[in-house]
Amino acid sequence: MMAVQIGLLCGLVVFSLLAVLVRDILKAAISLAVASLLLGILFFRLDAPYAGAFEISVVAGLITVLFVVTIALTKAEGGVRESRLAAWIFPLFFVVFLVIDFLVMRRLIGQIASLPAPAEAGTFGQVLWKGRTFDLIAQVGVIFAGVFAVLALFRKRSKHE
Amino acid sequence: MIFLFIALPLVVAGILPLVGKISPRLLPDILANAVFAALLAIALLAGPSLIGQGAGLQPLVFLGEPLGIHLALDGFSLFMLTAISLVGLCIGLFSVNYMEHYGHKAAYYALLLIMLAGMNGLVLVTDLFQVYLFLEVAAIASYALVAYGLGHEELEASFKYLMLSAVSSALIVVSVTLLFGLTGSLEFGAVSQALRSLDQPLAAGLCAALFIMGFGLKAALIPFHAWLPDAHPSAPAPISAALSGLLIKVSGIYALTRIFLKVFGLTPALSNILMILGAVSMVVAAFLALGQKDIKRMLAYSSISQVGYIVLGIGLGTPLGILGGLFHLLNHALAKSLLFLNSGSIQMAAGTRNLEEMNGLSKKMPVTAATTLVGSLSIAGVPPLNGFWSKLIIVMALVQAKRFGFALAAILASVLTLWYYLIIQRRAFFNKPDEKWRDVREAPFLMTTATVVLALLCIVIGIFFTATISTWIEPARDALAGGLQVIQSSIGIQ
Repeated sequence: MMAVQIGLLCGLVVFSLLAVLVRDILKAAISLAVASLLLGILFFRLDAPYAGAFEISVVAGLITVLFVVTIALTKAEGGVRESRLAAWIFPLFFVVFLVIDFLVMRRLIGQIASLPAPAEAGTFGQVLWKGRTFDLIAQVGVIFAGVFAVLALFRKRSKHE
Repeated sequence: MIFLFIALPLVVAGILPLVGKISPRLLPDILANAVFAALLAIALLAGPSLIGQGAGLQPLVFLGEPLGIHLALDGFSLFMLTAISLVGLCIGLFSVNYMEHYGHKAAYYALLLIMLAGMNGLVLVTDLFQVYLFLEVAAIASYALVAYGLGHEELEASFKYLMLSAVSSALIVVSVTLLFGLTGSLEFGAVSQALRSLDQPLAAGLCAALFIMGFGLKAALIPFHAWLPDAHPSAPAPISAALSGLLIKVSGIYALTRIFLKVFGLTPALSNILMILGAVSMVVAAFLALGQKDIKRMLAYSSISQVGYIVLGIGLGTPLGILGGLFHLLNHALAKSLLFLNSGSIQMAAGTRNLEEMNGLSKKMPVTAATTLVGSLSIAGVPPLNGFWSKLIIVMALVQAKRFGFALAAILASVLTLWYYLIIQRRAFFNKPDEKWRDVREAPFLMTTATVVLALLCIVIGIFFTATISTWIEPARDALAGGLQVIQSSIGIQ
């Protein structure tokens, strides 16, 4: 059981890394979708089916479709070159993080007496409407902000063109 | 009633794009400003009575069914809501004329209202995860608003802001996750109680460190400030005013204060860390501001420096220190919004933000020059303006607590502040008027109205500072009193 979990976690890290490092944005979007799918499976295995269902349907599904559609609608523009520094900084940062994680965090987190995690109680509706109702309002705010940001920014760009 | 602070701006933001199709300018102007005015009226008229009736924690009921929504209104949150609505209304009035040349006002006001709803939500929630959610609501709207001009500079600044803000959000959400794992709850009171009974100083320290870094980035405290001097000058002037005057205070200082005073309790170690961060920000940013030629960049560094004062006062943790910190928060929100709005008026009239290119604008823009002088002297701490009293209270609190080094740093930073604000006055407004400004005119009526209102508030609060303190600041300080017990007993200050 633990081996499967570790395998899924390693896959999650590898595909998350690919999502950042791959230069082709379509491949990056697909890597992100695979990473999200693995995270969703992990949620299911850790007795959090609602979180897993959301992760797979929204992040691996809906967001990936949005990314792919946006990429398909975007014209490739030449002349914009990414700095070579950027290609080095992220992997370097990642290696430093891994070293710190290995040396410090494992021991530190081990000392935190975490609570036994019960399976999600109640029906989906009860959890959503009775437990975390207010989160939904904040999420409406996040969606509004994202939609209006796209409307505002893309409107002006077309005017400039 | 309290729920309106979140629901009203969100609903109006939702219908604004449709309204914008019918009337692209007039209706969005009216609707957005009506929301700001309505929220200010609720905060001023209904807020104190709601607290007086003991309506602090309000469970919401919909069709007889209780919803899982709890909003807390106490003196501190009412103080913040009033400041947000007041500055928001002035920004809304200023935007009527200023945003004409940017176009598509409906989308602009929708984003501004969503940012307002995010800030109001953050102020009213009682749950750590909801703090994170509303932080994101306000932040996402602000990324788009910084990039609203769509020039290269704006887009780059917005991207930098987005990247550093994402790091900040990640740090905050990791800390929230660890606290949930530790205590099994997300509600402020329950987490606070569980932390006291758990006796896990290492884990609590780790969470506190992550919060300091996360909220420190949001508040742009040095050394977490790299995004602010790019983001704030690049945004349209009303947005610079909203970011510097409100957003860094709500998503940085308010959240930091609420969580450290009500959840963790301000221990001497935490107090020292906050004071050091505050003092370093105060002095270093003041020196950095001195070397700037761009007026908005100078104001942005000034914001970092003044945030340092606020954190220094609150971090001290004595009742007088917190009183001074909160009073300076209000004063800086008013004066810095005023100065950013005036920088917009200057840019619109003269077409430049470079202080070396401005000369003698006071003859052509007398109202802008006069209100800038009021804002500058207020932030620099010149009597009898409001900024003087808040800085005096902070210095008095530091002396009372025998933190003489910090008191000296506060006075030094105040002198530096006066120095760079005099540079603005001398370069932009004094001297002989330049020939090239012969066609320059004063800003339109609504823009000057907004700045005059803010300038008058700086003067009136300065003159009637005792009434302001007893009506708004003391209830806010008292609401935080529970968290003060720890530090009072540990360092022996009554």
